[in-house]
Amino acid sequence: MTDSHVAGAPALDPALLALSREFRLELDAGGVITCADPVAERALGAAPGMRFTRLCVPGTEAKAEALMQHARRGVVRDWELGLTVSSVPATVLCSALPRGDGVQLLGVALPSQYGGAIEQLNASMDEVVRLNRDLSRQRKDLAQKHDELSRAYRDLDDSNRGVVSLHAELAERNQTLRRASDVKTRLVANVSHEFRTPLHTILGLSRLLMDGADEPLSQEQHKQVRFIRTAAEELSQLVNDLLDLSKAESGKAILRPEGFDARDFIAALRGMLRPLASRPDVALVFEDVDPALRLETDHGKLSQIARNLISNALKFTERGEVRVGLRAEGPDVVLSVEDTGVGIDEAHFALIFEEFGQIEGPLQRAQKGTGLGLPLARRLAEMLGGTLRVESTLGTGSLFTARFPRVHPEVREFSALEARSLDPARAPVLVVEDDRKTIFIYEKFLAMAGFQVVPARDTQSARRLLAELRPAAIVLDIMLDGESSWSFLSELKQDPRTADIPVLVVTVTSREQKARALGADEFWLKPVDQDRLLRKLRSLQLRGATSKVLVIDDDERARYLIKRFLDKSPYTVIEADSGQAGVAAARAVQPSVILLDFLLQDVTAFDVLDELKADPRTRHIPVVIVTSHALDDEQRERLASHAEAVLSKENLSRELAINRIRDALVKAGVGAGAQEPRGATGAPSQPVRQEVPR
Amino acid sequence: VDCSAPACAEELVALRGAYLDAQLRGERREALALIVERGLGRGFGVDELRRCVLAEAQREVGQLWQQNAISVAQEHLATAISQVALAHLYDRAPLVPRNGKRVVFACVEGELHEFPARLAADALDLAGFDVRYLGASVPSVHLAELLRSDGVDLLGLSVTMAFNLDALRRTIPLVRAASPTLAIAAGGDACIGQDALLKSLGVTLTAATAEQLVTGARRLLGVESS
Repeated sequence: MTDSHVAGAPALDPALLALSREFRLELDAGGVITCADPVAERALGAAPGMRFTRLCVPGTEAKAEALMQHARRGVVRDWELGLTVSSVPATVLCSALPRGDGVQLLGVALPSQYGGAIEQLNASMDEVVRLNRDLSRQRKDLAQKHDELSRAYRDLDDSNRGVVSLHAELAERNQTLRRASDVKTRLVANVSHEFRTPLHTILGLSRLLMDGADEPLSQEQHKQVRFIRTAAEELSQLVNDLLDLSKAESGKAILRPEGFDARDFIAALRGMLRPLASRPDVALVFEDVDPALRLETDHGKLSQIARNLISNALKFTERGEVRVGLRAEGPDVVLSVEDTGVGIDEAHFALIFEEFGQIEGPLQRAQKGTGLGLPLARRLAEMLGGTLRVESTLGTGSLFTARFPRVHPEVREFSALEARSLDPARAPVLVVEDDRKTIFIYEKFLAMAGFQVVPARDTQSARRLLAELRPAAIVLDIMLDGESSWSFLSELKQDPRTADIPVLVVTVTSREQKARALGADEFWLKPVDQDRLLRKLRSLQLRGATSKVLVIDDDERARYLIKRFLDKSPYTVIEADSGQAGVAAARAVQPSVILLDFLLQDVTAFDVLDELKADPRTRHIPVVIVTSHALDDEQRERLASHAEAVLSKENLSRELAINRIRDALVKAGVGAGAQEPRGATGAPSQPVRQEVPR
Repeated sequence: VDCSAPACAEELVALRGAYLDAQLRGERREALALIVERGLGRGFGVDELRRCVLAEAQREVGQLWQQNAISVAQEHLATAISQVALAHLYDRAPLVPRNGKRVVFACVEGELHEFPARLAADALDLAGFDVRYLGASVPSVHLAELLRSDGVDLLGLSVTMAFNLDALRRTIPLVRAASPTLAIAAGGDACIGQDALLKSLGVTLTAATAEQLVTGARRLLGVESS
C-alpha cells in the first residue's frame, strides 16, 4: 500500500518505493495513458500519450481492451493481464473504476517466482507426459509383439499338431510294417522248420538207399537216388540260408568271437571250397596271407561270408579266375573276392543285396542260387561290425569286399572291462553271463547304482574270481554257452563261504533256453545230423556211460531214422512214442542219453523234463531236445525257489534291474545299505550310493 | 457452452460441461472418471473424446481466462488435468499397425502452449504414424539441425499465439535450408486466417483440427487409411 491511501501514513523512502510492484495509471476514453506514477514509468515503461495496450504481452491486447470496457461502466477487481514488466512477460492483477470518460487503474505485478513456478511445473508435466507416451508406446509395441508371437506360436502349434499326427501315422505305419515283417520272419522260420522234417526224411532215406544198407541199387537207380538227394540238398541249403537270415534279421543270432590265424582260416576255406571250382576255365586263387595276421571275431560267420561270396563268384564266372584275399588295413581286415565273370550293372548294386533280388540274365537263369547268399553275407558282415561292398563292371567282373574290425568291437570293449582294476569305492557285483552285450547293459545299469561289474563268461572263471573277491551279489545267467549253471548255483548255496551272497538268476524266455534251464543238455534242430549224433554219443561214452539211446518221439519216421543211423554203431536204440512211455523207459533202462522231441502229443517236453529231473534215478541222464517246430511262449519260471530273484532278459530294464538287485541286497543285508546303520537304510527306491554325509 | 464442431453428440456436449466443471474445480479424479467411465465406458471413441471433450474444453478454458472468469493458475491446472486425461486416452487407444511414415512434431520457438501440439501429435501417432514429439518452444536452429540428419517424412509445427507467427517465419526457411524437400504442416490457433502467410512460407499442409491434420498427412504421404 502506498502513502496516498492511508491518511497519516509515513512518506516512503524512495529506495523502498523502487521495490514496489504496485502502479497507478489514468486512461482517457480512447485507452491512451494520461497519467502514470513513477512505478508505472519505471517498471512498465508507461508514459502519458501512450496507448495502454502497448504495455500488453503481444496477443493479450484483447483482454486489456475488455478491462477498459468493463471499467468504464463500473468497478472491476482482480482482472488478470499479461503485461511486459521490466521487459519480461508477467501476470498483473488490475482493479479499475470509471474516472470521467476514462478509467483509473491500480495494478499489482505478481512476483515473477509465481509465474515462473507455474511455467516450471508445466514444463515438468510436459516432460512426464512425454515419458508417459514413450512408455505407453513401448507397452503397446510389446503388446503387439506379444500378439505377433502368440500368432506365430499358434501357427507353430498348428504345424506341430500336424507333425505330431503325421508322426502318429508314421508310427502306426511303422508298426504295421514291423508286424508284417515279424509275421514274415515267423512264417519263414515256421515254414523252414516244416520243410526240414520231410527233408530230413528224404536226405536220410536216400543216403540209406545209396549206401545199399538193405540191398544194393542198380546203376540207374543209384543215379536217380543221387538226383533226389542233390535236389534235397539244394532245398536244404535254401532252408538253412533262410533260417540264418531270419535269425540275423531278428537279432537272435549269437555272436561267438574267438581268436584264430588268418592263414589257418584261408587254408580251411581252400579245402572246403576247392570241390566247388568245377569249371576247367575258372581258377580259384587264394592269395598269400600274412602269417602274423590274427583275428578275433566270429570265425563261423566270417567263414559263411567267404563261402557265400566265393560260391557266388564261381557261379557267375565262365572263364578266368576267382581271387580271394584277406589282409589287414589299419585296425580293419578286408576280405576280397574278385572275379572275371559277367559283372553287375551299377543300377543293380542295391538289388543284389535284397532277398531273392536276382538279376535276369542267361547266366543268372542257368545258375540256380537261393537268392539269399549276398543278403545273408551283408547281414553277417554287419554283425562283425563291418560292411560288405561291391564294385563291378558289366562284362568284366566284380569285386566284393567285406571290411570289418580285426578284433570285434565287443571283444575289445569286453577285454577293457575284464582288465580294469577294482574300484574300492564301488561294491563289486559278479556277473556270470556269456553274452557280452548283456554284460555291457549290466555295467551301465549297475554303474548308475554305484556298483561295478566283475564279468565272468563261464562258471569256471566265476569260481576263480570268487576265490579272489567277495562280491555284494552275483547275477547268474542260468543258460551259459555250452553249460548250464545249475550246479554252480547249488554249489554256491552249499558252500558256507558263499551261501549268503545273494544270487540273481537271469533267464531268457526263449524256449530253447527255457528248456535248457529245465535241465536239457542240448537243443538240436531237426533234422538231426548223423555225425553230430555219433559225436555226442562218443563224448558221453568217454564219461563211462552205457550205450543205450532212448528216443522219445511220436513221429515214427523220426524214430526210424535215428534207429537206422545207429544201426551199425555200438548203440542200442530204445523207442518211446509218448512222453509217459519215455519217462517209464528212462527209469527202467537207464539210457546213456535221451533224445526228446519237444512237441509231443500227450505232454510237453517240460513235463517230461520235470519228471526226469525230479527222479534221482533219471536226474543224471543227459537230455537232448529235438524239435522241428517254433514253439509258443508259455509257462512261468520254475527257478524262483532256487534264487533270490529271477530276471527275464526280455524285460530287462534299467529300473527293473537296479530295483531287483537293490531289493535283493537289502534283503540280504549287504551292499551299500549294510554300510549304514540298520534303520538308516533308505527306502528301496533310494539309489544305494547316496550316503548321508555326517 | 457451445460446441463449435457440429459432429459432437449431445451426450458428449453434456460430458464436456461436466468435465470442464470438474477441471476448473481442480478435481482431477472426477474429471478422469468422466472421460474414462462416461466417455470410453459408454462406447465413445478416443478420437471423439479428444475432439469433442478435451480439445473443446481447453478452448473454453482459454476463453474463460480471456473473460477473466478464471485465473492463470486455474488455466494451468485445467491444462494439466487435460494432459493426464489425454495420456489415459492414448494408453487405451486401440493398437494400429505402423504405416512407416516418420513425423517430427514441435511448437515453434517461444510457443509455450503445448496442449494443441500434443493433441495433434497423439492423433497422428494413433493413426499409425511414427511420431517424434519435441514439445514446447523448440529452438529453430536445433530443429533444423535435427531434421538434417533424420529420415523424416513430415514436420508438424504448432503456433498458438499470434505473436509467435514471427518464430514460424524464422523457422521455416531454416528448416527448408537443411531439408529442402521435407513436407511441412503448420497449425494452431495463430494460423487460422493466415493462409496467405503460410503459403508464402511454403507450408505444405495446413489443418484446423488434429483430424484434418491426420487426413491431410495421409493424403500427402500416400498412406492408406487404416
